[in-house]
Amino acid sequence: MEKVLITGIAGGVGRLLARRLVAETEVCGVDRAPWDARPDKIAMYRVDLRKREFEDVIRTERPTALVHLGFVRDFRGDPGRRHDINVRGTQRVLEHCAAHGVEKVVVVSSGTVYGAQPDNPFFMDEDHPLSASRDYPEIRDLVEVDTVASSFLWKAPEVRTAILRPVHVLGPHVRSMMGEFLRLERPPTVMGFDPVLQVMHEEDVVEAIARALEAGLSGVFNVTGPGEIPLLTAVRETGGRAVPVPEFLLRPALRRLFPWRAVPWPEGAIDFLKYPVTLSGKRFADQTGFEPLFGLRETLRGLRGG
Amino acid sequence: MPLSVRELDAEIGDRLSKVPTAVNEYGFDRFGLSPQEARRLLLPAALLYRYYFRVSTDGIDRVPAGRVLLISNHAGQLPFDAAMIGAAMVLEAEPPRIARGMGEYWIPQLPFVSSSAHRMGSMVGTPENCKALLEDEECVMVFPEGVRGMNKTFDQRYKLQRFGTGFMRLALATGTPIVPVGVVGSEEQQPGFARLDSFGKLLGAPALPLTLGFPWLGPLGLLPMPVKYWIGFGEPLRFEGTGHEEDSEIVAHVDRVRAGIDEQLDRGRAQRQGIFSG
Repeated sequence: MEKVLITGIAGGVGRLLARRLVAETEVCGVDRAPWDARPDKIAMYRVDLRKREFEDVIRTERPTALVHLGFVRDFRGDPGRRHDINVRGTQRVLEHCAAHGVEKVVVVSSGTVYGAQPDNPFFMDEDHPLSASRDYPEIRDLVEVDTVASSFLWKAPEVRTAILRPVHVLGPHVRSMMGEFLRLERPPTVMGFDPVLQVMHEEDVVEAIARALEAGLSGVFNVTGPGEIPLLTAVRETGGRAVPVPEFLLRPALRRLFPWRAVPWPEGAIDFLKYPVTLSGKRFADQTGFEPLFGLRETLRGLRGG
Repeated sequence: MPLSVRELDAEIGDRLSKVPTAVNEYGFDRFGLSPQEARRLLLPAALLYRYYFRVSTDGIDRVPAGRVLLISNHAGQLPFDAAMIGAAMVLEAEPPRIARGMGEYWIPQLPFVSSSAHRMGSMVGTPENCKALLEDEECVMVFPEGVRGMNKTFDQRYKLQRFGTGFMRLALATGTPIVPVGVVGSEEQQPGFARLDSFGKLLGAPALPLTLGFPWLGPLGLLPMPVKYWIGFGEPLRFEGTGHEEDSEIVAHVDRVRAGIDEQLDRGRAQRQGIFSG
């Protein structure tokens, strides 16, 4: 029987994924945060991925597969620490997988690594360069994680490694950059800009991860959802009232407020409110037959749960 | 709104509801085009089409259904020709089509221009975007002369400037028919008598034009005079190939398209009695 170890199991996607997999496989997980309400069958360890204690978990549990969700995605913490946890943590996780005979690895990266550049073409495929860190230094560690995972694909071909880059994930349990933005009652938008977004429901991204695992996929894959929707329409459909702010006011406001952590996003995030970032999910769909269950309306309306 | 404007708005709404573009449950296509939101943006273009430029078309029924490239001459300092071709495709083509404009790289960076362009179905003219549109069976409008066409001097009027060849490779790769389009009237809307290339380089802009109205009347001096427009659509040209052919082969195909446009321009000018009266 397959045994899957999930890093970041206490997070939104981690919990959903654990519940999704536990019927068919053995599931265990690690996280720094607790998940006390978990099903009894799921063993969980409160460890730091960068430390010896995590390697001990792998040695003890001997998982056959690993899903890496153990990232700090909140920008408000110490950036050095975040970079260390995300990048060095990922390096450690992958090293241990190779060293201890884990057969399948799925690293859940993000579609945001392509960056919101004004000259992005529509429906970028996996070969498109990752430009996010150019104007958005805070996201640099996510790009590095993706790059570290990509090198691992080549360096350790005996491990079937899939790197998934999903579009913005929305749902009542997941905390994503776009989800947090759309949850605001009065989200600020950049006046005169209304780019299309791609979103997907949290349960669909969990299903996609499960499919990648089952298929033992190897390679880099964009994972897309039910389609494209302009930002202002998404704000309306998730129950918010957009507050358009001219860019010449919004940028300095974020620049001043973010260092005090009065807002969760740095200045670089503004580009995601201006330029479309759309991905082609054809490669993943062709190899797994994946199709999202939740349409645009359910995904947007489902953000606040219930 | 005056009655005729209201009627025109209703006509636009009716025509847009017949456009065959696939839209999602919110009325947007994959690229963010909204035929319903485009309605508001089309009204000024349609008013210019009917009452200012008084556009007459010839052969618009030649535009085939499904994927098609409209390749046209470009003139007049500002792209009113693009707006008029777009209006013609909505108001007169059967079925009505939204001609997708391939714009300059800086369009997404300008507030309001960016959102309007996307809602109208236009976007930056990258090969990937063009290919994606054609594979969605859309009608894509391309001006291979680019800015060279728009700011040429009056003595060069109706002489096609150098063509970029990217559109031909895309047509071959996607099996898309090409309709050569000739626009008569745009050359006279704001005649330029000099092009200051060096001044343009200094500003980091394309060559600065000197026209009847610019720069003496400021930016408003680039606006067009009420010339009579005529737009001719030629027989669709279909080319065989992969798009990876040698330049010489591609240029030979492009020359056939240029000839098709020249033919339309000759016909249009021959039937014209006066620049403003038609």
